[in-house]
Order: sequence, then structure tokens, then C-alpha cells
Amino acid sequence: MLSVKNIIKKFHSKIIVDDVSFDVAPGEIVVLLGQSGVGKSTMLRALSHLETIDAGQLMLDGAPLDFKKVGMVFQDFNLFPHLTVLENLTLPLVKVAHISQERATEMAQAALAQFNIADKESMYPTSLSGGQKQRVALARALCMQPKVLCLDEPTSALDPQLTSEVAQIITKLAAQNMMIVIATHDIGLLDNLSCTIYLMQDGKIVQRATSQELLQQPESFKLIKSFMQGKNAF
Amino acid sequence: MIDFSILREFGGLFLSGVQLTLMIALVSCCIGIIIGSVTGILLSQKTGLIRWLIMGYVTIIRGTPMLIQVAAMFYMLKFAGYSITAFWSAIISIGLNSGAYMSQIVLAGIKSVPRGQHEAAKVIGFTKRQTMWFIILPQAVRTVIPAFGNELITLVKDSSLASTIGVYELTKQGEIVMSQTFDAPTVYVIVGCTYLVITTVMSLIVSQLDKKLQYHAQR
Repeated sequence: MLSVKNIIKKFHSKIIVDDVSFDVAPGEIVVLLGQSGVGKSTMLRALSHLETIDAGQLMLDGAPLDFKKVGMVFQDFNLFPHLTVLENLTLPLVKVAHISQERATEMAQAALAQFNIADKESMYPTSLSGGQKQRVALARALCMQPKVLCLDEPTSALDPQLTSEVAQIITKLAAQNMMIVIATHDIGLLDNLSCTIYLMQDGKIVQRATSQELLQQPESFKLIKSFMQGKNAF
Repeated sequence: MIDFSILREFGGLFLSGVQLTLMIALVSCCIGIIIGSVTGILLSQKTGLIRWLIMGYVTIIRGTPMLIQVAAMFYMLKFAGYSITAFWSAIISIGLNSGAYMSQIVLAGIKSVPRGQHEAAKVIGFTKRQTMWFIILPQAVRTVIPAFGNELITLVKDSSLASTIGVYELTKQGEIVMSQTFDAPTVYVIVGCTYLVITTVMSLIVSQLDKKLQYHAQR
């Protein structure tokens, strides 16, 4: 279980993430929903140690979060452009996880096959489409066998059909007991996911609902519903 | 009147001058690349004393004429009791000069790599050293190759300053031929054209190398 407790993050004196708390159980998908600039991505960056937190606790299974257990897929993928697709996956395995080159290649090829991009292994990232880059980024993160996977705006560069595909991939990963945290403002993604939604505004979580609750009693979650209908609830 | 027939008699002198010119430029460039890479990487990462020391070195080199640096190095080493030839003194001073400029080129190359690349490497678990070596530098190199090429071409031309401390490179050999033939226009045309040929060939090589790297990067 990932526990995010009372996280505060400031830039200079401005509070970006304000007392945010939530839990993620194994197999659960948590979505931090909100407009741009409400602190969703900063929260993800704090989870993956790209930002230091000013207050609060990040715990995994009762112990302080080991950042090696967190994988991250960036909004713009951040694949290494000087390396082939295969090398993007094998280099971390060899240099960070200290796995032999042969074994790393096997693992990387298996991960690429899982995402149906095995035929792209010798290509460079610049020659891939947005959807293909997304899958390579996912495969690279998963190769390091994280317990928690963070996805920052995973569908911002994708068309609706690819959004649905990404949602299927995320659901499949959750089914493997991975804890998944997504920052997004794309309501199209929510239509395809069974998840727990935390609506953020001005750095705070203002409402929480599961996909089921939202379906069964939409009137109880007016803020989230308004956001999903494209109305400004604030 | 330009009279190229002097090449028959003095062609060998010009050729040995070209050899020394190329040696000075290439060896100085290697020294410059080594110094520039180390100082450029340190500048991108370190703060405090190391940064100040490097910035001091860069400021002194960039703020004084190379002619003074070449002469100062030669006479200071002599004064300090080191028995070093004018040739190696010139190489050291030109190499140090080049290192200062190359440090800024390397620093700019490192800074040109998007922040997201550093972040991706950090999240994956690369150490700072691994990030620099495996992720940042390979991308930075592609950016700085044209600037390195320009620096090499500049060094070919700057190597003529070695003539002031008695190194028999191309310009110095030209002066010797001039003192024997009293044909200054012909000697200057020959020396000038020789520099032009060397720098043009180097430009073409650097351009091809750059194209190859860009092609590789865009595949």
C-alpha cells in the first residue's frame, strides 16, 4: 500500500501542493484530476523524487518510500534520443539493475513484445509515433519492476483511439497488482478506467470518488461531475 | 608579380612548415578538448571554489591576447628554469587557450540537453556520473561537433603566433623564404593559400562528421 500523507510542497513561498493525502492499494488506479497548474504533476514528481517535499510523508508498505520502487512515464516521454528503442530499455537494466547484457536484452524484448512494439527495437525514438513512444516509455519504466507507476498526462499527445488503448494497458498493469497514480485533465481517459478519482484545485484535494460511485450516485459528486462535463465548478 | 617558381626551390620549407602547423593545431586541439571537457563538465555541476577557479582561468584566457599568452608561457617557463622547446611551449599555451574556449562550448552543449533527460535518468536510477556519461554527454557531443570544428580551424590560423617565439611553422618558414627571395607578395599568397586549403579541408571533414552524426541522431 502506498500512503501519501499530508504532503505540502512550496515553490518559494507559494504553496503548490497543499496537505494532500491519499492511499493507493495494490492493483488500484488513482487519478489526480484537475486543470493545468493545480499541483497534480508536482505531486507525481514528489512521488518519484524529482521534487523534495516540504512536509508530509510518503510510505510504501509501512516503510518510507524507496524511490527505486517508483516508475515514471513523463508527459513528453523523455526517451533517450541517442539510443535505440532496445537500448533505452537495456541501458538502465545493465547500468542500474546490474543485469547482464544478455538477460537485459531478453527482458527488454519481452517487454516490447508485451506492448506490441517488438518490431521497433532497432529504431530510434525520433522515428516513432506518439503512441509508440508512449509504449516504449511504459516498457522502459516497467522493465525496472517498480511497485508504483506514475503517469503524467499519459494521453495528452494521443488521439481517442490510442487513449482507449492506453487505458487498456493501464488496466492490465493494475491487474498485475501494480499501484498506479495518474495525473491528468483528460476526462476521455476516465471513461475507460475503473479508478479512484481525486479532484484537485489550488493544490488541494477537493473531492474523491471511485468510478462506481460516480456512476451510481453522480449527484453526490457535483465537483467532479462538473469538471467532467467541462464546466468550471470553482 | 606573383612568381610561383620559388616553390621549386623552397617547396620543402613550406611543406615542413605545414607539418608543424598541423601538429601544433591538432595537438593543441586535443589538449583543448581534454581541458575543455573536464572544465565544462565541472562548470555544469560544481559550485563554489572549483567553479570560481575555472571561471578565473577562462576570464584570464579570454581577456588577454593569445600573442601575449604564447610569449608569456615561453619566457615564464624559461625563467622558471624549465628546459622546454619553443614548439612545446607554443602547444601548451595554445592548448590552454583552446581549453578555455572549449569549456564554454562543452558547457553550452550540456545545457542544450533538455531537463527532461536528466529527470528521466534520475527516475530510472542512474547516478549523476552515469547520467552525464551515458545520457547527457552523448547528446551534447552532437551539438558541439560544429563548434569544435570551428575551434580547430581557428587553431590552425592561431598557430602562426608560434612563429613569434621561433617555431618554424608555416608563417615562420614564409618569413625565411621572404628574407631570401625578397618576394613578399608571392610568399604571402602561397602561405595564405596554404592556410586556406588546410582550413577548407578541415571544414569539409567536420561538416561530413556533423552530417553523419545528425543523420544517426535522426534515424
